[in-house]
Amino acid sequence: MARLPVQTIQRDPQLFYWILFPITVVMVLTGILRHYATVLMATSPKKLDQKTMREQRSMLHGVATRSNFHVLSGPSFRARRDYLTNAYETGAFLKSPDQRGQPPPNPMTDPGAMDGMMGMMKNNMAMMIPNTLIMSWINAFFSGFVIIKLPFPITVKFKSMLQAGVATREMDPRWMSSISWYFLCIFGLQSVFNFLLGSDNAASQMAQQMGGMGPQAGAQMFGPGVDPDKQFKIETENLAVVEHYSVLDGVEDRLLEGIMSK
Amino acid sequence: MSSSLLRPPSHLPPATALHNSQQAPNILNNSPGAVSTSVIQSLLSTSESQELWTTYENLLLSLLRTGDDDSAHLCLARLAKRFGDDNERVMALKGLIKEADANDTATLEIILKEYDQILQDNPTNLPIVKRRVALLRSMGRTPESITALISLLDVSPTDAEAWAELADLYFSQGLYSQAIFALEEVLVLQPNAWNVHARLGEMLLMASKTSDAPRHLAEALKRFSRSIELCDDYLRGYYGLKLTTTQLLSEPQKASKQTEPDELAVPSSATVQKLDEAATEKLAEIVRRHTAGERDWQGYEEAEITAARELLEKASEKTVR
Repeated sequence: MARLPVQTIQRDPQLFYWILFPITVVMVLTGILRHYATVLMATSPKKLDQKTMREQRSMLHGVATRSNFHVLSGPSFRARRDYLTNAYETGAFLKSPDQRGQPPPNPMTDPGAMDGMMGMMKNNMAMMIPNTLIMSWINAFFSGFVIIKLPFPITVKFKSMLQAGVATREMDPRWMSSISWYFLCIFGLQSVFNFLLGSDNAASQMAQQMGGMGPQAGAQMFGPGVDPDKQFKIETENLAVVEHYSVLDGVEDRLLEGIMSK
Repeated sequence: MSSSLLRPPSHLPPATALHNSQQAPNILNNSPGAVSTSVIQSLLSTSESQELWTTYENLLLSLLRTGDDDSAHLCLARLAKRFGDDNERVMALKGLIKEADANDTATLEIILKEYDQILQDNPTNLPIVKRRVALLRSMGRTPESITALISLLDVSPTDAEAWAELADLYFSQGLYSQAIFALEEVLVLQPNAWNVHARLGEMLLMASKTSDAPRHLAEALKRFSRSIELCDDYLRGYYGLKLTTTQLLSEPQKASKQTEPDELAVPSSATVQKLDEAATEKLAEIVRRHTAGERDWQGYEEAEITAARELLEKASEKTVR
């Protein structure tokens, strides 16, 4: 197969000044704006009242006892287990002991839960609105422009990604259209934002999406719609099945072995 | 900026604390008084770091310790400007400075009233709860302090710091079994803290003087062993181990009747003998190398080394006799 002649397209150098550069600047500025909008809109974390704190920390205390039981000697572990199991079963740690057995309140009507949802909504909005606006702006003004040529060869598969909005079948996939440059900016500006705003900024949506995954586990444990009484029951069972052993069993022999082997 | 300012200064030796507070004018002049919140300025100036505020907080504590109250007030003013007067930690620091300024008990009483007032408005203000406990303790009202601490731990049983303080308070009252319980709670929360293992061993050793000697001694031996297992060359661990084995060897324990199946038993006397030898050897090595000025062995405190040396001398006297 004959070698394809290198495609050359005469581009007006003004394309660089009027398309490539403006898109990049606008993307960076929106990122910064979004960061500060998120900071401004962020509500400070809601303070726990005393009873909620007690309920949650007692739960965590049980978890700690269950996972670190090995530092305790047999009798002291059993004493703790009896105490915790008894308190969990009688609901001594519950925020509102008289509501035991009732179904948890509907998260949609619970004002505490609404706060969390509003926060999520706000974040999503701060993400979506600028993106929609900029995308339609680019589509309206710059669609169909080929603006740069990538300095490395690339397979045909990338054509649909890099030449969005340019319907030319035979063109080398190395040529990039303006809308593709926009997408590249969305994903590639993270390090620029890190440089400008510090590493925990809210500018890039990639970080936002990643962050969304992280705290789920913590939120679920005490989140709205979870019945703490049931959780306490589960924890009681977990404690009950612990088969106790202690790190203190035979520690002196282990130590002597360690010293002797040195 | 020295790295010792980034860690809480509670256990720094006096010389380091003095050194830190001598740096104060330098730090206060060179660091920004308040980081501007305006967008343009924060883009241009260097961004604020967490270290800066940690430094301010620790510097404040060092300054109070060395008596430079004016600079301490300056530190507090900057922290308050950045985080606001109603920030919980700033409130606690403010209370701390007031306590330091107070000259007589009457002033302290007023501060205590203020704490009560704050807690009435917001009972979950943990830094203030802890200040209140500490203030009660320093005023000599230990039982009240213990009560306050217990009510704090009822609300927040996952607070290792509070459990440790409770252990210390009980210990100061001679209530060993309660102190041991509290220290065990610290270990539940921080299972690999070798210093807490050793501390628990020390408490058990002291408790063995009053009651139930074999069981306590056996556990003390195991606690010290565990702390050495977690941290090689840990002087306190070896020191305690040596004391425990001496105790065990001097008065042979009769085999305690096993009341519960998994109760810790005293190891055989051969094992105790071996542990005793190992501990003596290690203590001697630590003392020798520290005194010889070997570079990697200078981390021990002078007082601990002296104590170890005395213990060794006493032991050797006994063998000579």
